Amino acid sequence: MKNIVIGRYIPGNSFLYKMDPRTKIISLFVLMVAVFMIPRDAFEMMFIGIGLIVLLLLIGKISIKRVYLGLRPLMFLLIFTFVFQILFNRQGPELQSWDLNYSFLNIIAAAVLVLFWIFTKKYVRTKILYFAFMLVGVIIILNQLSLGNVFSTGQLVIHEEALLIGFFIMMRLIIIVTLSTVLTLSTKPTDLNLGLEAVMKPLKFLRINTEEIAMIISISLRYIPTLLDEANKIMLAQASRGVDFAEGKLKDKVMQIISLLVPMFIISFKRSDELANAMEARCFIPGATRTRLHQLFWNRLDTVALVVSLIILIGSITVRVVV
Amino acid sequence: MDIIQMKNVSFSYQQDQPVLDGINLNIKKGEWVTILGHNGSGKSTLSKLLIGLLKPSQGEIIIDNITLSRETVHEARKHIGIVFQNPDNQFVGVTVRDDIAFGLENLQVPRNEMVERIDKYAHKVHMAEYLNKEPHNLSGGQKQRVAIAGILAMQTDIIIFDEATSMLDPKGRRMILDYMSQLNKEGVTIITITHDMKEAVLSDRIVVLKKGKIIKVDKAKSVLKDQETLEKSNLELLLPLKVLNYLEKENIDNEKVRSYLWELSLTR
Ligand SMILES: Nc1ncnc2c1ncn2[C@@H]1O[C@H](COP(=O)(O)OP(=O)(O)OP(=O)(O)O)[C@@H](O)[C@H]1O
Ligand SMILES: [Mg+2]
Repeated sequence: MKNIVIGRYIPGNSFLYKMDPRTKIISLFVLMVAVFMIPRDAFEMMFIGIGLIVLLLLIGKISIKRVYLGLRPLMFLLIFTFVFQILFNRQGPELQSWDLNYSFLNIIAAAVLVLFWIFTKKYVRTKILYFAFMLVGVIIILNQLSLGNVFSTGQLVIHEEALLIGFFIMMRLIIIVTLSTVLTLSTKPTDLNLGLEAVMKPLKFLRINTEEIAMIISISLRYIPTLLDEANKIMLAQASRGVDFAEGKLKDKVMQIISLLVPMFIISFKRSDELANAMEARCFIPGATRTRLHQLFWNRLDTVALVVSLIILIGSITVRVVV
Repeated sequence: MDIIQMKNVSFSYQQDQPVLDGINLNIKKGEWVTILGHNGSGKSTLSKLLIGLLKPSQGEIIIDNITLSRETVHEARKHIGIVFQNPDNQFVGVTVRDDIAFGLENLQVPRNEMVERIDKYAHKVHMAEYLNKEPHNLSGGQKQRVAIAGILAMQTDIIIFDEATSMLDPKGRRMILDYMSQLNKEGVTIITITHDMKEAVLSDRIVVLKKGKIIKVDKAKSVLKDQETLEKSNLELLLPLKVLNYLEKENIDNEKVRSYLWELSLTR
C-alpha cells in the first residue's frame, strides 16, 4: 500500500521538466482534441501521430517502460474495445470467416480451455498474449472439432472496418493515456496543482472558487500518504485482534473492510477538525487573497511548445475539414 | 499595558459541564506566562479561546485592544500565533517549505520576504536541510520543529506554545527554549503550556489551572516552591526546590545554600 504514489512523478531532466505546468496542461488538452479530430479513415495521420508521440518520448527522455506501466491498467479496456469491434462491427468487406460448430462436447472443450486459462494465467508473464492464445484456441476448437451432436452452427466473420476501427480506437486511447502519463511523470504534484489552478482561473466567472479547489487538492496530496500509513496501522491492530485481511469469504471480506473503514472515518474526522483549526489559527480565510510562494514562470520554451501543439491541432482540423 | 485580557470567561463544550469557569487573567506586553494544570484541566481549551477558535459562552477576551468577536477575530489573529499540541494535524503544506510558507501566504507577505523568512526560521529550528521533505518522511519531533518555525515566521506579538516541545530531544528542547528567551527579550509575549517544570522556571508568571478554574496566579518563583498547589495539579516540585522548602521548614537558614539551590533549578 505504501508504494502508491499519486501522480507518480519521476525526477529527471529534459525539456519536459523545464516546461511550465500550465503549458503542459494546455498542450495536453490541445493535443487530445487534435487526436479526436483525426478522421476515422486517415491512417497516415494516425501513424504520424504515433511517430510524434515516440519522438516526444525520446526527446523528453521518458522511459517507454514507465509509459507502459501507465497503460497497463487500461489493457483490459483496450482489448475489450478491440474484441467488441471484431465481434459486432459488420461494415466493409469480409476479410475472413470461420464456421463455428456448437455441440455439448465442443462447448465443454472450450469451457475447459477457458477454465485452464483462468487458473494458469497468474503464472504467465505476458498475460495479453496468453489471453489471445486462449481466444484463438476457443475459436479453433469450435471451428475444427465437431464432437458429438452439433445442435447449432454459427459464423465468426471479421470485417475490414472492424479491424480498422478497432485498431483506430485503440491507438487513440493509447495516445491520450500516454500524453497524460507524460504530464504526470514530468510534473511534481504541487506544480501540477498550481498549473491546474492557473488554467482553471477563467472558471471564476462561473462563480467556481478555483483557489479553494486547489487548496483541497493540495491538502489531499498532503494527507494521502498519512492516511495510508494510518490504514496500515489499523490493519495491523485489527490483525492482532484476529481479523485476517488476506483470506476469507465474501462475508469475511465485508467485515474486514468495515473494520478498516470505521476507524478510518473517525480518525479522518478528528484530523480534519484539528487541521481546520490549525489553518484558521494561521490566518487562513477561505476565499481571501493570498500571496503565493510558488510562482510560475513562462519561458520561450513554453511559447514554442504551445505553438507546436497548436500547429498539430490546426493540422488535424484541416485534414478533417478538407479531406 | 495588558496585551491580553480575559474577563470572567467561561466555556463549555456540552451544556452544564463547564470546562473553563470564570477565568480572569491579564497578561502584560512582553511577559512570559506559563500555564500549568493536570490533563483535562482546560489548558488547550483556554488557548483555543485566546485565538478565537472557540467562542466563550460568557465573558470577553481582548487581544491587543481588539475585543474578540466574529468580525474582529481575523484581525486579532494577526497578533497572536499558536503552536498546537499535535504536530501531525497542523502540517498544512505538502513539504516543509510549503508548510512554513502557509501562514505567510495568508498574511500576504511578499514573495521575496517570504523566501527570506522561510530560510531564516528553518535554520532557527535546525530544519533547513529538510525544506523539501514531505511530512510523512519526518519524525514527530521534526514535525514539531516545523510547526514552531511556521508560527515564528509569522512574527506575531504573542505566541502560545501548547506543549510544543513535548517530542523534542533534550538538546532540541533547550535550543527552542533558548530561542523563546531571546524572543521574549525582544518584546514578544509568550504563553507556554507545559507539564515540564524546567520550562516553567523560565517564565515570569505561572497560572495554575484545576478543573477549569484558576487556583493560583503568581510570580514563577513563588508558585514553583508551592508544594500544595503543584500537587493539586499532579505536578512534582523540582528537586532543588524541594530541598529548599525543607531547609525553610527546618529553619536552616543559609543564604549561600539557598541561592545555590535556586541557581540549580534555573540551570538546565
Ligand atoms: N472537542 C471537544 N469536545 C468535547 N469535550 C472536549 C473537547 N475537547 C476537550 N474536551 C474536554 O474538555 C476538557 C479540557 O480539555 P483540554 O484539552 O482543554 O485539556 P488540557 O488541559 O489541554 O489537557 P492536556 O494536558 O491533556 O492537554 C477535558 O475534560 C476534555 O475531555
Ligand atoms: Mg492540551
